[in-house]
Amino acid sequence: MAVTEPVAPAVVKPTTTNDPQSIADQIKAKYPDAVESLSAQGIVIRRDRLPDVARFLRDSPALSFDYLNNLTSVDYPDRFEVVYHLSSISRGGAPIALKVNVNRENPTVSSLVPVYRGADFQEREVYDMMGIRFAGHPNLRRILMWEGFEGYPLRKNYHEPYYEEEHKPFGTRWDQGHHVIAEDRNPWHDNVQYPPDLDATTYKPPRDEIRTAGIENVSVTKLRTDKIVLNIGPQHPSTHGVLRLKTTIDGETIVAVEPVLGYLHRNHEKIGERNTFLQNMPYTDRLDYFTSMANNHAYAIAVEKLMGVKVPERAEYIRVIMVELTRVIAHMSLLGFLYNDLGAFYTPLLYGLEERELVLDLFESVAGSRMMCNYMRFGGVARDLPEGWLDRCQYLVDERLPRVLDEMGNYLIGNEVFRARTKNVGILPRDLAINYSTAGPVLRGSGVKYDVRRAEPYSIYDRFDFDIPVGTNGDVYDRFMMRFWETQQSLRILKQALKQIPAGEIMTGKKNYQVRVPKGEAYGRGENPKGELGFYLVSDGSPNPYRYHVRAPSFINLGTLNEMAVGHKIADLIVILGSYDVVMGEVDR
Amino acid sequence: MDPLALVIIEALIKSIVVIIVLLTGFAYLTLMERMVVARIQVRVGPNRVGRVFGIAALQPIADAIKMIFKEDFIPANADKLIYVLAPGIAVGTALLAWAVIPLNPPLTIFGYTINFEIANVNVAVLYLLAIGSLSIYGIVLGGWSANNKYSLLGALRSTAQMVSYEVSLGLSLVGVLMVSGTLSLTQIVQQQSMIWNVVWQPLGFVIYLVCALAEINRVPFDLPEAETELVAGYQTEYSSLKFALFYMAEYINMLTISAIASTVFLGGYQGPFGILPGVHWLLIKMLIFIFIFMWIRGTLPRFRYDQLMRFGWQVLLPLALANTFVTAVVLVLLGK
Repeated sequence: MAVTEPVAPAVVKPTTTNDPQSIADQIKAKYPDAVESLSAQGIVIRRDRLPDVARFLRDSPALSFDYLNNLTSVDYPDRFEVVYHLSSISRGGAPIALKVNVNRENPTVSSLVPVYRGADFQEREVYDMMGIRFAGHPNLRRILMWEGFEGYPLRKNYHEPYYEEEHKPFGTRWDQGHHVIAEDRNPWHDNVQYPPDLDATTYKPPRDEIRTAGIENVSVTKLRTDKIVLNIGPQHPSTHGVLRLKTTIDGETIVAVEPVLGYLHRNHEKIGERNTFLQNMPYTDRLDYFTSMANNHAYAIAVEKLMGVKVPERAEYIRVIMVELTRVIAHMSLLGFLYNDLGAFYTPLLYGLEERELVLDLFESVAGSRMMCNYMRFGGVARDLPEGWLDRCQYLVDERLPRVLDEMGNYLIGNEVFRARTKNVGILPRDLAINYSTAGPVLRGSGVKYDVRRAEPYSIYDRFDFDIPVGTNGDVYDRFMMRFWETQQSLRILKQALKQIPAGEIMTGKKNYQVRVPKGEAYGRGENPKGELGFYLVSDGSPNPYRYHVRAPSFINLGTLNEMAVGHKIADLIVILGSYDVVMGEVDR
Repeated sequence: MDPLALVIIEALIKSIVVIIVLLTGFAYLTLMERMVVARIQVRVGPNRVGRVFGIAALQPIADAIKMIFKEDFIPANADKLIYVLAPGIAVGTALLAWAVIPLNPPLTIFGYTINFEIANVNVAVLYLLAIGSLSIYGIVLGGWSANNKYSLLGALRSTAQMVSYEVSLGLSLVGVLMVSGTLSLTQIVQQQSMIWNVVWQPLGFVIYLVCALAEINRVPFDLPEAETELVAGYQTEYSSLKFALFYMAEYINMLTISAIASTVFLGGYQGPFGILPGVHWLLIKMLIFIFIFMWIRGTLPRFRYDQLMRFGWQVLLPLALANTFVTAVVLVLLGK
């Protein structure tokens, strides 16, 4: 493989930087008392000023922070801190962090849902996990845990049963070899914490009140209307995992739909705090198990931001190749999966999966594992490419994948039934797509030209020549086409990367089981096939992250489901859901 | 021997033979479908159980045994009688249609003429349409009695779908009836010894095929059992043999539809240009139809409910009416 000079950056980086200092000055000019303090990590806003400041940041034409990237909270010994990452769709650049300090006794902060509707699910998650109340939130209920659950799992004083210690490795729980069959004590084992006054034998979950798009309430028990409530999932052939959709239908028409999440919740973030930084790498594979390489990359970016290490050229190229291959197979499979949801009996899907197998062969030979790759490390990648790998990849990228993609495009895009089923179905207007913090193909399908690879070029994406395709209508058809076009662009990137990949180191420094991560915090993000996958890390200098938060694109995208599906038929709901390409491993974490 | 007794014995023997052939034929149809769809989907398909020439010859039997040993589950809130009855109705009506389909030219042995249809009814086409309408009861009752929302939706879809497509289905056959001037399938087949009806009624043939697909709930009209939306539609709660009976009814319906299409439009047991008439021609024609059905299943996505209804009422019905009208006008002009 010839070593060539990298080509010049195709796109100039955005000129206006989101400098915290200048932004803080502008906030101060408008609301002199709003800014409490300022650092490179973010701007601390006074709690009662938050909605004003957010609205100002969103509406001021000079700032136009119209996109809420991420919303999370950190449990410090003396206070809670709610962190908002905002960025501007038109300007791009790194997101700025707004922070609000909340006291521990009565943790309440104003809800940002009226300003950014994408905050809905994220605020519910923060409430659920850390117990911070959001005043003015329209539907502040637990989202991942069950109603009636005792405690807030992400608080530092919360210890999950069986995992009482702070960090791994854990001591043995029964050091005298003592053992009690937990079923003898209660039906839930003792792997669950439940309220102290709960009688497990007579427990009935709270009555299933169904939100019906704000029109009226229909309760299951008083079913005297002609609307019925249909629970689609959690066991259902096409909810892509254990997702439950509480659907109110009038005949076949959907009146309201509410996703019920948490069936696959495993408290990924708490696990992340117990693990060391490196131990988290294989856990990120399990977030979106279709795109483990891309998850690895985003996490590596976040930790490298904290550590300040530079990744060698060759490793960067390897990373880009892996991530783009992941994107190709994830998107090509989706072309098939969406057809499956439309009722085509697996045929397109199996053609997509056939190519996926070939790419997984490549992953296997380089990482040792097909799906759970665990391949990237901080400052590089785990192993160098084996002999002949690049040639095999070259064959796929130059010949096989483009041919199959064209073939699939020929047969799938023109199909009359497909067009009738997807055009003008599940429309998400441009403004709503931004306001709902959607990401990835869902956002771009609505005509928003926003791709993290261009908005805040990371790794070496600024060297490659590729376009960001956008849709026009924001319907299912556009989101399907986004996958098709993005695969073409990924193949373009792959061709350039394979041509330019240099020889050399694959890792900065020597391999380490334990990395030293200095004190600080960072929000690192990458363009996952599903959207912007972000990791918000707080390090206190110890081997474990103090806070480890995942901004899961599928989770936040799901917030728009009601918006898109109301008024359509049940069959459309399934297709709309399919067009998100949700993976429950990432939604529930 | 009493001639009446002879007729009854003959009919009994013929019925038993037809039923046995249909039930085994259904089993091997499932094997064929699995093989055909597997090839369409770049897979190999079943090739292990009782392997003969790379085909799993005993696979249907293995499937059947597995089916029998599954738990026979009846939901607590189901209407038990109807719930049990529904699969029987489905299979029964599916089998009934075969009473009037002529399978072979009449044969004379020792001066006794055997007709190769169980009953030579002079209103056979009407009979077929009537039986076709009955077959919906299996689905509606099964879906309703299970007391499951998915089943209910599947049954509702099925009712609407069958009611709207039956009109066009009947009208597509009217053209043939006008051309041949009889309702007896035996006579219709005999008239086609040289030229098949499809030559006179190409549009009617196409409308019939589309409506027939919708009648038997096959892709792209498989809404009553749409897996990705309604789990399994009307048969969601069914298991074990009851499930198998619904399955059986679906495949026998497939055979029936292709047999009727072959008989009415493609000359039934008549060979092309009168070559070697016999049951083999009927089988070949049916196989071609069935392969096409499987091919469609392997490739096409499903319509949406409202699109399906619109297609039925706004496209197929006017076409079928126009076909009937044009046929009538031409016949009058020709002075027949």
